[in-house]
Amino acid sequence: MKNMLEQMRTQRGWTQQELADMVEVSRQTIISLERGRYNPSILLAFRLARLFDVKIEDLFLYSDEEVYDA
Amino acid sequence: MRNSTKWIESKQRRALILLGAGALLFAAGGALQRWVTGLPFDARIIGGLGILLLGVGLAQYLTYRIVRGDEKAAARKRSEELDERRVMVRNQAGNRAFWVSLVMGYAGLMWASFASNDQLPALEGNTLWFFLVALVVIPFGVYLASYVRGINEG
Repeated sequence: MKNMLEQMRTQRGWTQQELADMVEVSRQTIISLERGRYNPSILLAFRLARLFDVKIEDLFLYSDEEVYDA
Repeated sequence: MRNSTKWIESKQRRALILLGAGALLFAAGGALQRWVTGLPFDARIIGGLGILLLGVGLAQYLTYRIVRGDEKAAARKRSEELDERRVMVRNQAGNRAFWVSLVMGYAGLMWASFASNDQLPALEGNTLWFFLVALVVIPFGVYLASYVRGINEG
């Protein structure tokens, strides 16, 4: 799923590790999220959205063409 | 006391329990091998399990010992271990290993079934041991390979 994570993170001047520490995940997870190769749980999505003070749908861009790939 | 410190301490306690159990089994295996004769099994199985537990316990203890006392490092360690993506990768690796062991176990059962009807050579002696070792080692290898691949993907 596409997202605005990298843009929002760099706007705030945070490193991937700093963001990972703030939402209590590994840096590798932040990397995967930014690349759009991992879809977060609803809990992590909420945590990230609240941290950036935006709505989930402004952070994660869902399209109907998304394919479920667990 | 912060959550991370408590979490690290509980992990260290668990590592110490593993270490203790490993030492106990290793000593018991050694004692059986040295002083008891006519055992219906090879005492090295017990000693070997002890060595495995000692290794795992020591590795875990040292891992958590390094970050103990450093709240930031402890919090990072906790985040990394409880990381949802890592948990997902672990679960997927476990699932793959389970299917491999299921297929191998079923194949073994089929072999034994054919062997009982003299259609295939019987699984006995060294062949049986190799099969049983493979039944443990191959799913474990699949688990490790899947885990490493999953973690490095993305």
